[in-house]
Amino acid sequence: MAEKQLDTTTAASAFQKQWFGDLRRRVFDERQPYALLQADVPFELFDLAGIPAVSNQWWASMIAAKRQAPQFFDAMDADGLHGDLCRYCSLGYASTRYPGAGEPPWGGLPTPRLLCARLTCDCIHRVFELWADAFGAELFEIDHPGAGDLPVRWWELGRHQWRELVEPHRLAFMVSTLESLVERLEAISGRAFDRNALRERLELVNQQEEVFDQVRQLIATAPECPVRMTEQITNVMATQWVRGSEWALAHARAFRDEVQQRVDAGVAACPGERARLMWVGAGLWHDTAFYTAFESSHRAVFVWSMYLAFGPDGYIRYGLDDPMAALASRTASFNEYLHNPPWAAEWIVHQAREHRISGALVLRPRSMKPAGTGRLFIERALEEAGIPVLPIEADVVDARAWDGDAARAGVRSFLETRVLQ
Amino acid sequence: MKEPFVIASWPSVPVEIVRAAGFRAVFVRGAPGPTPTADRHLEQGIFPGRLRHLVESALTGRLSDAARIVIPRTSDTDYKCFLYLRECVRRGVTSALPAVILFDLLQSCGAHVGAYDAARTRALLDELASISGRTPSADDLRQEIVRANAARAAARRLLAFRRIVPRVTGTEVFPLLAAFWELEPERYVAAVDGAASAFAKRSALRGPRVLLTGAPVDGPELHRAIESHGAIVVAEVGPWGSGAAGDEVRQHDDPIVALADKYRADAVGARTPAASIRHWTAGMLDDVDAVVVSLPPEDAVFGWDYPALRDMLQARGIPHVCLRGDQYQAPTAEEHAQLDAMISTASTLQEARHG
Repeated sequence: MAEKQLDTTTAASAFQKQWFGDLRRRVFDERQPYALLQADVPFELFDLAGIPAVSNQWWASMIAAKRQAPQFFDAMDADGLHGDLCRYCSLGYASTRYPGAGEPPWGGLPTPRLLCARLTCDCIHRVFELWADAFGAELFEIDHPGAGDLPVRWWELGRHQWRELVEPHRLAFMVSTLESLVERLEAISGRAFDRNALRERLELVNQQEEVFDQVRQLIATAPECPVRMTEQITNVMATQWVRGSEWALAHARAFRDEVQQRVDAGVAACPGERARLMWVGAGLWHDTAFYTAFESSHRAVFVWSMYLAFGPDGYIRYGLDDPMAALASRTASFNEYLHNPPWAAEWIVHQAREHRISGALVLRPRSMKPAGTGRLFIERALEEAGIPVLPIEADVVDARAWDGDAARAGVRSFLETRVLQ
Repeated sequence: MKEPFVIASWPSVPVEIVRAAGFRAVFVRGAPGPTPTADRHLEQGIFPGRLRHLVESALTGRLSDAARIVIPRTSDTDYKCFLYLRECVRRGVTSALPAVILFDLLQSCGAHVGAYDAARTRALLDELASISGRTPSADDLRQEIVRANAARAAARRLLAFRRIVPRVTGTEVFPLLAAFWELEPERYVAAVDGAASAFAKRSALRGPRVLLTGAPVDGPELHRAIESHGAIVVAEVGPWGSGAAGDEVRQHDDPIVALADKYRADAVGARTPAASIRHWTAGMLDDVDAVVVSLPPEDAVFGWDYPALRDMLQARGIPHVCLRGDQYQAPTAEEHAQLDAMISTASTLQEARHG
């Protein structure tokens, strides 16, 4: 693992560890409820109800980063769960279902009061039902209507014209469902939901994402990339799980200021940068060193991932007269924009041009079938835009079949034959 | 003149709606054979064979006579297929494609799902009616429901020849059950009545009774493989076989609400609540001697049910085999050996039970 270049990265990592420790204390010592959520669930509603929330994907990335995932996956295999089932969304479940198989980070997850998931992929209902059952906890499902109208340049509508982004019937359904969720949260917390507080929170989320937009611009326009992709992710995701909170906004600003200082001082993540790479797909959590492995040898630096870039385009909603509708419009199609045609390919090519990308590595996820869709459209669109593509076949949390040396050799060859010519 | 028809990717599109709007419903099913044009756009190992063949046919102009292609939201891969086909049109990959529409039927138990489904069912009817120029009244819809319910009753008569003491093999009866979706109800009832008369004269079939579960199959190839070992497939999960009839569409003031409710609850697929499939499977186990679980390579869903099912089968002493192959390909020699061993065990248990 490369050493951290930014002080804010160290602070973000420390915050997450501290936050999780506090959560465990509140749950075990003070018997407070908490919730386990899919990453695309509106966390704001839980926070406003006083119910802290842990992201399934974040927890999976933590287990993978601590090199504990293979043990849990072996336990899944031994229990008869075949190897083509999604491992990313189910690693957290495995850490609960097979507690003796491995050592989950920081003492493991306490029992949540509630699990909540959007039913995007078909497997989510299964995984979360099994997980809720393993905990003996309640599950709230947010169904996922399909989009019939498909505005291509969605990121141009999201901020000001979000009512046009989602068809009225889908928006109304999502509002109703979120209202039902709020009723459950009120019942659990014993606290009345405050719509004004939601509006204020979404305004703060907007401010936070505006700050990330500024960071994105700094990275896109600086002569050399000022901050590694891995450090972008750490800083962004630590704040996204508590977005709109005082700490999140303060940290986002501190991150932006540090990046600005580096740009002003001409400090680059990889001085003498020769190739600017983008990573398309979820992060390779079990081998994050992969992303810095080509800096000294080829002066190739990963500049872009969806984690920073999606914040401003996916979250900002102006015009908060009806905050629940604004939140629903964000939730309705959330992660589809990252994977599916027509949205993903158009956005990724747009981002690649903005960031002067010279080569794209596109994840071919081994077991995450839904996240693997749309990939051929994305690869083709990038190539048609003149950006060479290298597909990387990997599972983002399951390292068992990952040959890091072979993958690195493939990237070196890609750089030498297609990017640095 | 050729009868106007609508292509649908899975039998969760209400045939009553399609017929009331003046169309014949044609449902896509998989087949062996290459799909080179579709393979340029559909990632490997994700989409089932029926969708690969649908996209192959669509992109090579073989569906140009259809009035519409209707894709239901009852699986993620179907929904992605809708997005892909629309993208292929947008990118000019094909121009000979009828309009592709999404039937956004949700299947979760959320409080607002029923009303949403009813509205989407009404939107589907409006869309189809706008093409045919035939706007059916509520009574027209009720008439279609009565016709389809009569066909459902006929399908249930077929199921009676499979339960307890089977008189018909799965290989034989599966196509008859599947025909529910495409034959005009009156023709279907006549065909079933003819077959039922013949089945009634048969003596009971011998051999262990097998339940085929896991991912729903849309053809009898696996039945044939299992029955080649001397067993009888007496039930299979999914809308093409045992689930073709399902419950009748209930009488309701608003026939659209009744149809939406029926298909949400009854259309078995990847987004059917797990508890519903568990309940159905548990209900079948009293009358079977062995279970085959089909989990093809593209399965992302039904494999999650396997450990609980295995535990239930072990607790009840019912042997089972898990097959991971494509339903359109012949099982491997190893899978045949597993089937043979399972059926041999089931035969022994069956003989012990019945003396």
